[in-house]
Amino acid sequence: MALTRRQFLKWAGATGVGAVVFNGCSVPDEEIRVQSPLELPEDLVTGRDNYYATVSPADGEGLLVRVMEGRAKKVEGNPDYPINGGKHGVRTEGLLQALYHPDRIAQPLTRIAPKVGPFRRMGWPEGLETLKATLEAAEPGSVLIVTPPLRGALAGVVRSFANAYGARAAGFEPIGQAPLRRAVADVFGQQALPDFDISRANYIISFGADFLGTWVAPTRFMRGYGEFRQGHRARGRLVQVETRMSPTAAVADEWVYVNPGTEGRLAMAMAYVIIEDGVPPGGTDRAYTGGGGLGQIADYRPGAVAGAVGLPVERIVELARAFADSSHSPALAIGGGSAGAYSNGAANLRAVYALNHLVGAANRPGGVIYNPAPEGDRVDSLSLREWKDELERMRSGEVKVALIKDANLLYGLPAELDAAGALGNVETVVSFSAFLDETAAAAAVILPGHTPLEEWGSDAPEPGPGYRTAGYQQPVVRRFRDTMAFGDVLLQMGAQLGLEGMPGATMREAVRAEARAAHKTGRGSVRAPTFEEFWKRALERGGWWDASAVARSTSPVRQVAKSVAAPAFFGDARRYPFHLVPFEANALGAGQLSHVPWLQSMPDPMTTVAWSSWVELNPQTAKRMDIAQQDVVLVEASNGRFIRAPVYLNPATPPDVAAVPFGQGHAQFTSFAAGRGANLFDILSSGEERDTGALAWAGTRVRITKTNRRAKLPSLEGPDPAVQLADQPIIYIQRSNGGSGAAH
Amino acid sequence: MNPNLAIKIAVPLVGLSVALVALAVGWFFISAWWSQPPAILGFSEGPEQPVAFPHTVHVQQAGLDCQFCHRTVSTDEAATIPAVEQCLFCHDFGKIDGTLSSEPHAAAEIQKVRDAFYGSESRDAGAIDWARVHRLPDHVQFVHQPHIAAGVSCSTCHGDVASMEVVQQVRNLKMRDCVDCHRELNAPTDCVTCHY
Amino acid sequence: MVTTPDLDRDLTKRPRERSWGMVVDLDRCTGCQACVIACVAENNIPINDESHYHEGRVMSWIRVERYWEGEFPNVKARFIPLMCQHCENAPCEPVCPVYATYHNNEGLNVQVYNRCVGTRYCANNCPYHARSFNYWEPVWPEDLRHQLNPDVTVRSRGVMEKCTMCVQRIRRATRGRDDVPDGEFAPACVQACPTQTLTFGDLNDKSSRVYELSHDERNYTVLKSLGTAPNVTYLKKVED
Repeated sequence: MALTRRQFLKWAGATGVGAVVFNGCSVPDEEIRVQSPLELPEDLVTGRDNYYATVSPADGEGLLVRVMEGRAKKVEGNPDYPINGGKHGVRTEGLLQALYHPDRIAQPLTRIAPKVGPFRRMGWPEGLETLKATLEAAEPGSVLIVTPPLRGALAGVVRSFANAYGARAAGFEPIGQAPLRRAVADVFGQQALPDFDISRANYIISFGADFLGTWVAPTRFMRGYGEFRQGHRARGRLVQVETRMSPTAAVADEWVYVNPGTEGRLAMAMAYVIIEDGVPPGGTDRAYTGGGGLGQIADYRPGAVAGAVGLPVERIVELARAFADSSHSPALAIGGGSAGAYSNGAANLRAVYALNHLVGAANRPGGVIYNPAPEGDRVDSLSLREWKDELERMRSGEVKVALIKDANLLYGLPAELDAAGALGNVETVVSFSAFLDETAAAAAVILPGHTPLEEWGSDAPEPGPGYRTAGYQQPVVRRFRDTMAFGDVLLQMGAQLGLEGMPGATMREAVRAEARAAHKTGRGSVRAPTFEEFWKRALERGGWWDASAVARSTSPVRQVAKSVAAPAFFGDARRYPFHLVPFEANALGAGQLSHVPWLQSMPDPMTTVAWSSWVELNPQTAKRMDIAQQDVVLVEASNGRFIRAPVYLNPATPPDVAAVPFGQGHAQFTSFAAGRGANLFDILSSGEERDTGALAWAGTRVRITKTNRRAKLPSLEGPDPAVQLADQPIIYIQRSNGGSGAAH
Repeated sequence: MNPNLAIKIAVPLVGLSVALVALAVGWFFISAWWSQPPAILGFSEGPEQPVAFPHTVHVQQAGLDCQFCHRTVSTDEAATIPAVEQCLFCHDFGKIDGTLSSEPHAAAEIQKVRDAFYGSESRDAGAIDWARVHRLPDHVQFVHQPHIAAGVSCSTCHGDVASMEVVQQVRNLKMRDCVDCHRELNAPTDCVTCHY
Repeated sequence: MVTTPDLDRDLTKRPRERSWGMVVDLDRCTGCQACVIACVAENNIPINDESHYHEGRVMSWIRVERYWEGEFPNVKARFIPLMCQHCENAPCEPVCPVYATYHNNEGLNVQVYNRCVGTRYCANNCPYHARSFNYWEPVWPEDLRHQLNPDVTVRSRGVMEKCTMCVQRIRRATRGRDDVPDGEFAPACVQACPTQTLTFGDLNDKSSRVYELSHDERNYTVLKSLGTAPNVTYLKKVED
């Protein structure tokens, strides 16, 4: 046997002498594995990297992925893509670790006996046969398809399949944007979420929306924010009205704490002041008064709401005048997040967005930019109210087959609804998830799907950049495991069941069909005489967009913000003295990304805590309750449910607030997520937002009890919240009045 | 024989042989550290490749330049091994299928390349997993481009590949080897030129 | 080919052609961590599991620190991204007994992994806590290794590491070219940063954006009193 140099080194290393001598030059085993890929495209050039453009439909960002020898190495923003312009957010890089995740479901699985017992492996032919048999046997009306909200080609495939087969398609996301959508539709008459022209705004007031952290499209908004602060014009001013100091509130010039659920009434009072002072040129007060004069909103004079809001009258007047001040024009009002997550959420947001009409910020540079109405199919998320009905149908046995792709009902629906019990009544649950999340673990059959870097798809980003945009998602590497794209499975099933009107035989064809429509317009960023050329160039650029295809119609302003009711809280204020203010974790969202080790290891911006759940309490309040940093407390809601988590004494937490992040507390979902921290959905009340039936996730009251346990919080700053040294600060402050100095 | 005498002779003998063995082992390691391992145990042979690719035929008979296949050597880090598709330019479209070769195995080896491209009963279409011949430790980042730009010929480091039936490493390519040459040619010797 | 090295050769005779530097505009930073994860992905930084946090041994080449000031309702939280400052007068360099860290002629403070013997003197002497020590053999769960960047050494246990300003990208971009247009390439953190808090470039090029910004009226260097002369300039945060 010829001994190779490498074997020799290995052998030498094992002898002990060699361990010292060869330490410097020994090649780690792993390096070789990195460089000898399992599956390579036949056009691979050994030793050179390539960049492929694709999109991440989950957060609407256009990406360039560096691929070397058949392996994805790095995700970068696509500089051409209108949404993120070469930048990317913290979550996007996680796509790489999802692709190479050690706990991915590697092949189709089925139970060893129907509905019970552990899983056994099976091949795709058997898997598809099982699915086909299930669909053939089922009554079409009894089949439910559950996915996250979808847009683009996959939405088209799901819709076509559902229509042709007769199934229902239901979207699910733990924290939906239904109140926001409703407010935007009411106030601006727009179907699509608008873009916010942050870079050109001069003054922004945001109610509850952590738009620089987790809200809607943070990467796009942050791009604008950098220019808003230190672009070529005068420095913009940001005011954040919020019940928890989020990163957006932290970087705002003013953080205004109002009593939870009173954001809308504050906006009404501001409107009252502005109208009383005289509506600025270009603005209209019709959204509030309907042309009927100030008397229409007389109940919202600052003096009448100041007490409920928790701000002095002068402060309300000051905020209103600053917003309407002509030297601050263009001014922009944004609302969302917790402000939309009370029982009066949609009304809150209507009152907030109507402020834009007062200063004429609707569809104007530096204001709210309308997007063209969405084209193509969509699967929108059902509201909590509709989900309650679906769960009822499951319980009654009306739903016999559930096809579930990546929608984690068992984690993300309030536990008091007992989604697990309901799903247990469904005869056959088929999961298409790439990971064994709680819902997949309750399935009878798992036909694992691809991760985003392996599949075809398309995206119509929402919010768009103000004009029609299509992002094309292409596989940048071959499938890494024995998985199959969900869309391809549906299309195959459609063909095998002889369904009509499916948009192609494969997802690739479905995307191409979409691209054909874009090619036919003859406009936009890619134009080509033949479709094949268009296709090639559009894939190279990551998509196609047409800056001339802007929103067409602007509807007249209707009176939509006439009144805002007081929020209803779930739990008696005396027995449950704390407002539970949940917030999306910076990297993990509402728990959809908890399986990615990188994202778990990213410190939370405000607390620097990673890998866990925590309860933020005001230090003075905690002191009164004899609670110290890292004491484990019991957080108990009025439904009798509770979670345990260690305390982070947050100097910015208001006295009657307990803030807890979403994202942890998984029972399944890979070894990186399971058994870690607490799941907020375990205790959240299933109360609804009045207009839309969405989950009113910020409306739960809780009581806090100290336990006799302590738990060390894994944080970057260590056990004591970090403050700067007075004599050696590292952050210097320039006072906007011209002075400067050190912060300490 | 006097047992004492036997011990007197045996002890130094054993000691000497132990010392000799230790010395031999030590020399083995140290020589491997400072240069190539000694040419025993098959160290001088190149690795077996999945396809018996003869550089001799391609360079000497067909007259191909190194860069005809290793196309990025003058621009990139890696000289790169071309895509299978590129082999087919000659071996499929060019109809060079090895049947005219005097080598008995030529046709079979060329068929392996076609199988890699088109797939066959025994394998899926995909890249050929060539065995690496020249491997530097992970903490060394070698870049071909500046070397070619400085006029260093391929054979300076790789030897006369044109006449190798099986490619093997001929130069030890240890750090001293690199640095000596860099000093001689006044090339950068900043550590971070190669180590990062 | 083997020749006697010319030990009298003046190794410093090369002109300082480039001086890579960075500007951090604190008025743009929102603490979002995009720079941190981009760095981790680009530079093969080990996954910081929970125990790294508990033991205060988190490995990061760039991190975002947050400082509290005051208490509710008069409270401020401020963010500052910190990475190796690539000091001209670096405290880490003279204390290394094996010359594993030194300044090169491009303005970079360089860490040579294969020279490092792990004394950790440099980390002790770094006032910015910019250096991370590999207390453990870095492990990636099996398949995650496929993501590792082949252009960057995977450091082993016992080795000190820190920000290189993505020298692998510098090498690639400047290879065989004297003139690299300003802004043509950037380290992973700068490339990712959505607010453009970070700007990278050649401080010796007076027409570069980084040169212009480093002379902004808001400029300062962190812990200036220590006289480290960093190549990273900060721009003051603006507040009322």
